Amino acid sequence: MTTLTGDGLQPSEFAVTAARAVADCAALGPRDQAKHLADDGLLGVLASQDVGGLDLPLAFAVPVVTAAGSGLLGFPLMEALLLSRALQDALPRVAEAIVSGGMLATIAWQGTLSAEREGESVVLNGWVARAACARDADCILVRIGTAAAALVPTDSEGVVVEDAAGLDLTVPEHSVRLQGVTIPAASVLPDSTWALLSSDANVLRAAAILGSAETCLALAQEHVSTRRQFGRALSYNQALRHSLARQKLALEGIRHAITRSVGEAAGPVEHDSVFLAAAAYGCAISEGALQVHGGMGFTWDVPVHRHLRRVRALQAQGDASGSLAALGRRTIAAIAPASDLAVSG
Amino acid sequence: MTVIETEPPVTATAGELSGEAYRVAMRRWLRANLPASFRSDSAAFSAPGLQEQIAWEAAMYRAGLAGITWPKAYGGHGRTLREHLIANQEIGALAMPESVNSIGKELAGPIILAVGTEEQKHRFLPAILEMRDIWCQGFSEPEAGSDLAGLRTRAMRDGNIWRISGQKIWTSGAYRAQRCLVLARTGPLEDRHRGLAMFAVRLDAKGVRVRPIRSIDGRESFCEVFFDDVEVLQSDALGAPDEGWNAAIRVLEIERATNRMYRAWRFENELRHLIAACKSDPALAQLVANRCYEAKIGEVVVDIEVLKAHVETAVEALVKGDRIGARGSLAKLHWSEAHQRFAALAIELLAQASLPQLPAVQVARRRFEAIYLQARAETIYAGTTEIQLGIIADRILQLSKGK
Repeated sequence: MTTLTGDGLQPSEFAVTAARAVADCAALGPRDQAKHLADDGLLGVLASQDVGGLDLPLAFAVPVVTAAGSGLLGFPLMEALLLSRALQDALPRVAEAIVSGGMLATIAWQGTLSAEREGESVVLNGWVARAACARDADCILVRIGTAAAALVPTDSEGVVVEDAAGLDLTVPEHSVRLQGVTIPAASVLPDSTWALLSSDANVLRAAAILGSAETCLALAQEHVSTRRQFGRALSYNQALRHSLARQKLALEGIRHAITRSVGEAAGPVEHDSVFLAAAAYGCAISEGALQVHGGMGFTWDVPVHRHLRRVRALQAQGDASGSLAALGRRTIAAIAPASDLAVSG
Repeated sequence: MTVIETEPPVTATAGELSGEAYRVAMRRWLRANLPASFRSDSAAFSAPGLQEQIAWEAAMYRAGLAGITWPKAYGGHGRTLREHLIANQEIGALAMPESVNSIGKELAGPIILAVGTEEQKHRFLPAILEMRDIWCQGFSEPEAGSDLAGLRTRAMRDGNIWRISGQKIWTSGAYRAQRCLVLARTGPLEDRHRGLAMFAVRLDAKGVRVRPIRSIDGRESFCEVFFDDVEVLQSDALGAPDEGWNAAIRVLEIERATNRMYRAWRFENELRHLIAACKSDPALAQLVANRCYEAKIGEVVVDIEVLKAHVETAVEALVKGDRIGARGSLAKLHWSEAHQRFAALAIELLAQASLPQLPAVQVARRRFEAIYLQARAETIYAGTTEIQLGIIADRILQLSKGK
């Protein structure tokens, strides 16, 4: 493992700033949040210095997104971080506007569009979904075919953003219908863009889930320590002690897997695995915290349900079920059938 | 019997190597020297006898693959913990037999390094690495399994000797060991964690009796050990009297965090073997192409990656000088349960093989049926799952047990 540094900076140094900024954003609308986060230098952590960013490795975005998860930030922060880097070469002005908080951008993680080239333009058609805060966004990155991606202004003719049913109350997701939407060919990004975005998004989703899971476990821990039944604190009961110990095991599993996923040797397996571990463990932790709270856990006021909703949304956004099968499929495909001797070394 | 005639030890040339060059040197040596008959993923596999295993482990030591971090003054190779991890990754990558002296190399050795006298370090440590002394661990007793503080084996000071009486149980490998790391009580039972001392007891001493216990896999790998007024010299007492509990805690922390550090990579080797066997069989090849089994394989990959993350985090913490403390329970708990899930999946899959069974499937069944049974012990030994959960609740979460 490698300790990452950028001009002597450590990723953990971003945690305090991010937590404070997230808390400050609680009462703000999305555009004011963008400005506030930008003023704290948080939207350009990954983007190059040419567009106003800090040009730091992915590890530095982890504490920022974790703080957003923990504080239930209602802003597409992961998308802004990834897009500002993805667009810095092809569309530097857009990247700069995202980093400065002047433009609100998001990504439609589900669905793919058809595209037809017409001279210097491209015409898009189809449906995409799971676009966080698309209702407020100025532009959306959409997937074209299997590998390409394009940036589409939401005020383009033929773009219809629709409210989508979803569990998440914090960062609402939208579906987007594109009917004959014409964009400049220059807005279509290179084929490698989508794969890199998806892979890094898996690490940042895990970071967001870590933030939610930490908060849920802390709430559960406080509840069992202060709530008394049968003349004793709930924490006296072994069943609850063991339940929380399992949640702690899961939490540290996410944390350690994130550290591994941003190491020098990390690749697609580490990035997929950290998301899949976080999705599974994050659900178990937030559902477990809800259970530990008893009837209180089922109320609107106890915030555990908000985290549970968020974790489930992130799990679906990353297509955990499909990714798990794909990870298994790739593992199986990479191994040759057994010959007669020593097959597994 | 397989004669271990290894290539020249790599330490002569590997002393200056580091990082990937060190990894390559260890990998090459292991692949060149591990007999096919020792590999449980090979059709040529035949469980090695004790003397074969001793010769193999002695050769591994000479090649730089045991005592990796121990000081050179005591026979070690004086390398870093990160290099210890690299070597273990290479050891784990091959389906080789478990060490018959892991207690010596991974428990007794570290505790002697921590609390032993200079004389003890020079006397015990090279003998462990050269496989002249095999060690076992005498902690658990019939009345003190998970609750070690309740152990009753007594050690009474009598001039320059100690007299030990009592009974140990679940003592892995005692029948083949020369020495036993015995935890015994010097004070009254009510003292609980206080009044415990640790000794290096010779198992050929007068008054020691070893009775093997047959385990669910049909083997006699663990034993009861009876001590009847066994004389132990003061020079074989480890650490100051009444500091035994602290020494035991240190041993158990090491055991949970770093013992058999290769586990994640051996786990990966097992997964590769299972998939290779399945792909060699028409029915199983079709089965693992099913999305349900693809997802189950995906879950195993995630379990392995998380285990690697726990191990690497522990190594980095130790490199920084942190005590691993209760965090050793995290890796142990995750690994033991994940490995049981994998073993159950393996036998479930292999049970659906075509008939007649192909040799590759037979090899895999032999290996994974044994692993399935042996894995039942993994959530019991080195502190049961319930003990690990208790440790996490008490010492990491610090949940109150008071009223």
